[in-house]
Amino acid sequence: MGNWELSDQVNFRSKQLLQGGKNIVGLMAGLNGDPILGIDDKIEDLHYKNNNNSNEVQGLNLTLARPKSKAILRKGILPFLLPNQSDDISHLALDIGGSLIKLIYFSRHEDQSVEDKRKKTVKERLGISNGNRRSYPVLGGRLHFVKFETSKLNECLDFISSKQLHCGRFDSHHWNSETPANENAVIKATGGGAYKFADLFKERLGVSIEKEDEMDCLVAGANFLLKAIRHEAFTHMEGHKEFVQIDHNDLYPYLLVNIGSGVSIIKVDGDGKFQRVSGTNVGGGTYWGLGRLLTKCNSFDELLELSQRGDNGTIDMLVGDIYGGMDYSKIGLSASTIASSFGKAISDKKELEDYRPEDISLSLLRMISYNIGQISYLNALRFGLKRIFFGGFFIRGHAYTMDTISFAVQFWSQGEAQAMFLRHEGYLGALGAFMSYQKHGLDDLMVHHLVERFPMGAPYTGGRIHGPPLGDLNEKISWMEKFVQKGTEITAPVPMAPPGTTGLGGFEVPSSRGATLRSDASALNVGVLHLVPTLEVFPLLTNPKMYEPNTIDLSDHKELEYWFTILSEHLPDLVDKAVASEGGIDDAKRRGDAFARAFSAHLARLMEEPAAYGNLGSANLSLYKKLTFRCLCTYNLLNRLMEEPAAYGKLGLANLLELREECLREFQFHDAYRSIKQRENEASLAVLPDLLLELDHMDEETRLLTLIEGVLAANIFDWGSRACVDLYHKGTIIEIYRMSRNKMQRPWRANDFDIFKERMLGSEGKKPKPHKRALLFVDNSGADVVLGMLPLARELLRRGTEVVLVANSLPALNDVTAMELPDIVAEAAKHCDILRRAAEAGGLLVDAMTNTLDGLKGNSSSVPLMVVENGCGSPCIDLRQVSSELAAAAKNADLVILEGMG
Amino acid sequence: MDHLAHVSNLRSSQSQTQISHLALDIGGSLIKLVYFCRYDDSCRDDGDELRSQNDSLCSKSDNNQPVLEGRLHFAKFETSKINDCLDFLRSMKLCLGGSHDGTAPPSDKIFIKATGGGAYKFADLFKEKLGVSLDKEDEMECLVTGANFLLKAVHQEAFTYLDGQKEFVQIDPNDLYPYLLVNIGSGVSMIKVDGDGKFERVSGTSLGGGTFWGLGRLLTKCKNFDELLELSHQGNNRIVDMLVGDIYGGTDYAKIGLSSTTIASSFGKAISDSKELEDYQPEDVSRSLLRMISNNIGQISYLNALRFGLKRIFFAGFFIRGHAYTMDTISVAVNFWSKGEAKAMFLRHEGFLGALGAFMSYEKQCLDGLMVHKMQQKFPISASSAGDNIYCSLSSNSDENGSIECTVYGT
Repeated sequence: MGNWELSDQVNFRSKQLLQGGKNIVGLMAGLNGDPILGIDDKIEDLHYKNNNNSNEVQGLNLTLARPKSKAILRKGILPFLLPNQSDDISHLALDIGGSLIKLIYFSRHEDQSVEDKRKKTVKERLGISNGNRRSYPVLGGRLHFVKFETSKLNECLDFISSKQLHCGRFDSHHWNSETPANENAVIKATGGGAYKFADLFKERLGVSIEKEDEMDCLVAGANFLLKAIRHEAFTHMEGHKEFVQIDHNDLYPYLLVNIGSGVSIIKVDGDGKFQRVSGTNVGGGTYWGLGRLLTKCNSFDELLELSQRGDNGTIDMLVGDIYGGMDYSKIGLSASTIASSFGKAISDKKELEDYRPEDISLSLLRMISYNIGQISYLNALRFGLKRIFFGGFFIRGHAYTMDTISFAVQFWSQGEAQAMFLRHEGYLGALGAFMSYQKHGLDDLMVHHLVERFPMGAPYTGGRIHGPPLGDLNEKISWMEKFVQKGTEITAPVPMAPPGTTGLGGFEVPSSRGATLRSDASALNVGVLHLVPTLEVFPLLTNPKMYEPNTIDLSDHKELEYWFTILSEHLPDLVDKAVASEGGIDDAKRRGDAFARAFSAHLARLMEEPAAYGNLGSANLSLYKKLTFRCLCTYNLLNRLMEEPAAYGKLGLANLLELREECLREFQFHDAYRSIKQRENEASLAVLPDLLLELDHMDEETRLLTLIEGVLAANIFDWGSRACVDLYHKGTIIEIYRMSRNKMQRPWRANDFDIFKERMLGSEGKKPKPHKRALLFVDNSGADVVLGMLPLARELLRRGTEVVLVANSLPALNDVTAMELPDIVAEAAKHCDILRRAAEAGGLLVDAMTNTLDGLKGNSSSVPLMVVENGCGSPCIDLRQVSSELAAAAKNADLVILEGMG
Repeated sequence: MDHLAHVSNLRSSQSQTQISHLALDIGGSLIKLVYFCRYDDSCRDDGDELRSQNDSLCSKSDNNQPVLEGRLHFAKFETSKINDCLDFLRSMKLCLGGSHDGTAPPSDKIFIKATGGGAYKFADLFKEKLGVSLDKEDEMECLVTGANFLLKAVHQEAFTYLDGQKEFVQIDPNDLYPYLLVNIGSGVSMIKVDGDGKFERVSGTSLGGGTFWGLGRLLTKCKNFDELLELSHQGNNRIVDMLVGDIYGGTDYAKIGLSSTTIASSFGKAISDSKELEDYQPEDVSRSLLRMISNNIGQISYLNALRFGLKRIFFAGFFIRGHAYTMDTISVAVNFWSKGEAKAMFLRHEGFLGALGAFMSYEKQCLDGLMVHKMQQKFPISASSAGDNIYCSLSSNSDENGSIECTVYGT
């Protein structure tokens, strides 16, 4: 997607784009070191698969990281799956703490075992072997993060059993009908509960718990997160959240403070090198335990939410209370410093009932957070550590908690030490346990292998799942519908769904969660981690550390507002298209509505204004809830501003657009623009011969300029752009194309054409030296690729340059995909020998190659035209995470042309 | 605390007593008083078997300097009942300003040394009710002065307390510094002391005596601090606290040195939704609270001692009240975290450091430096020759009634 522009009429952005220039980037790439070779050549299919097909999934690559031979041995053995199971579960690990059970499970990406001709050729051409540097295949898949209360262990057991998470496919070597699947199954678990509940797991699920040391797991989990997840760590001072880029080579030593029921303080010196240096018994359990006794709250989150409206000055004795409103400046204590937590409660004029629960909660929260911050700092000081990472489920992304801890660290260290928080704060132990299955595999994963996605329910449930999961799409939609319905019916007071309700998969209907929509912010920050081991850093990036794929940073409120408006306005149209793409049937309409709600909720989550409820009294709470639901139910979200742009980690426009595509896929709109793309491809292909003829009659220099102008001109054909949509009503594609090409006359904003021309055509007396291989990143379907990029590719081919067309792996808007390209090229090749020979050489013309000897001849005489996928399913590309075939193709490339995709 | 009884007791036995010096430490929860009474006949009437010893000590006076004999009295009131304190002071016929002839100067010229936040907060009240001005002394300075004085001058002032064993520690006055002074009042101050008047407040925590009493009141409906403390004697914190064994199914987490009885999370068991506040015994709640706070103070103190390489930590302040379990917990915490390297020590006059320090600051003002001056100057010499220069008759139940009487002889 290139000139991604939804706004209509006069807008400086569209002007810029129409003047062109920014969309073509010539990278005279110096070839740098060996790119990391592809690990797995399979398409990582991100689609939600059709449930009924799961039984047909091949047993290939079942292990996450097992020697390949074993995986092959198991080939053909069907996994044991329930009929309605939507995910193929492979791994499960637990962290059973005093208050919460944290669960991580891995679901495999569906294997696309179809080895199409294109891929095979690409593989041969690019020298990607099936084997790779590892002796075992690494499996792509998804990591899911779920939590339960330890007191509700049964819910957790039900969840595991309904998802068959315990089937132990990896550890059971006797995977056939004679032996029950879970006979020898072992689940890795850590936390005290791994000891305490081992018998229960054996009895209920028939699995053995293999205990992993808690500290080992915490450290392994933290190291993994800090190394492998981008934007994992952040600081939080005075309400301001800022992500910290951790340099992998400069991570150690650090202090890890895990705040669960109690607090463990660990000095980490390296992988597996650590020491528990301290801890405190005043932790999350203390907050919740004391809080329960003092306030009668029913849940931790409720207590936490109360604190947001509290004033601890009514219950804490402040320095000012002792000094009659004055500071004790001599020792640096301001009047508002807490001298004694709960110190005012010694007054015998007031009883427990006379204090507001809000104030009590805040006082408790400050007491405990501050204390933890202080003890942590003192330990950091002891070992000279500058960085303190706080994890554990106490924090829950709660701004005040983090601010208090940060303040304590800042205050006592006088700015020397820094408190940092982790987005996956609560899952360190569980992750560590998960990683202990094999001591290789996951550890080797790098940042670029992981893609984090936020499931549809995230804004509603806070990412939590209780009870059996939503099995299929239909349930998902019903859930969304029911939720919305519930939301509109809700009146005061706090709606509580009876626990353990069945129906709808026994989901505790999220109405009860509505109350915690904000306070449980952290869970929202945890998406599903997609492990895509085939992704790699684009090898030609000059400085991957400095590279930022987001050209537009949404932490800028003005930008966020602007794009929010655009996306919201565009939503109904997108829904129409999506529904139409599925034949407009009722089912599609339902899914369309559900998609709209889900995406709206994501948007709303990003836009909400914290202060808007910060000051609400409890009387207003129910009203607020009502409003919240209303807002979520309608598309009228514009009046809600900026809640927490960082709710999903650091988010740029590219991420937001990808989120939308993910959201569409989640509701099985695999390609909303399918028919539009088809129509435009056909129309463009029809005029291509004329265009090629016109070009061939020009002299070299004019032709080159015209080609470049053509690329720029064609890129305005973008269904992401309203301005473009309007254009379609004004004429035929070729007319528009010519018209806009005329507008593309120089000077351009960035203008290196002369340099490019010299390289292409040579200068006086100097013979041009053709490029060896050109990577052409294509963008939109229709005129953009057919009339813009193909003629340019043809010109390069004619000059003896190998051309690799790089396209999206998955549909996004009207972007052309790698799957669609061969057909388009084949059609174009009918009218052009250059393209035909090159396409044959590149294996794009399957029929021609296998059927005719001519084809084989052509093969040897022409440089190939190839197509590779970029590993991306978003309108914007992230060059830090590209497919292995693209990375391989880039190895010998000396020309890169990027069109759009940013 | 039974103040009225305390006050009337003082009144009846010492109605004739002339208070010649008085200093106050007005904290967030408690007002601490230190005052000096010269001996006169009425005062001698309440003597006990210690009298003879005192007399013999007096006879050692061997120079021409005026000798003030009298007693240092210690008293406390709740800050919320400041009027009781004012009444008490009024009834004691304050004779301040230190003139030896017993004639009081006009009250508006009287200054009383005071420290603690209340010295600022209640200055107007004292002026209005008693007509006296409060001369404010810095809190930390007073604490340190008081502690230094006690540690240098008073025999058997410091002691350790571990596993129910109280053991007095002989402090060599020449090898006292540096040390960490932890004053546990409503809040907690941690002061690194390097010498007379040389100190730095290095840390502190808001989890202090006020937290114990405040939270305790809300949770148990106890009527006073001492009752709450008393309750904790009979309590079992395992009912309320989440222990390592609760998480690990009764086993230790030996690898990192946590036994199954280690508290993993204070009040961590209270998260169970099957029990409400009413279902917990106040004794257990009190015990859990006490352990939480004592342990925390012990830990933070140790970490600060470690930071500055201090081996000795003295705990003082009215939170402790000579309470065995409190001291035990603090000692255990320091012992645990320091792996036996650092020692927690307690002071018998724990609550009066600030007031004592304020009292001693009179010297600087030259109002009547003599007595205090002499006491300070002479003690080190006579300490070696005569032993007990100050004899403190620590009443056996001083923890309960909060009054410690101390008789002072200037030699």
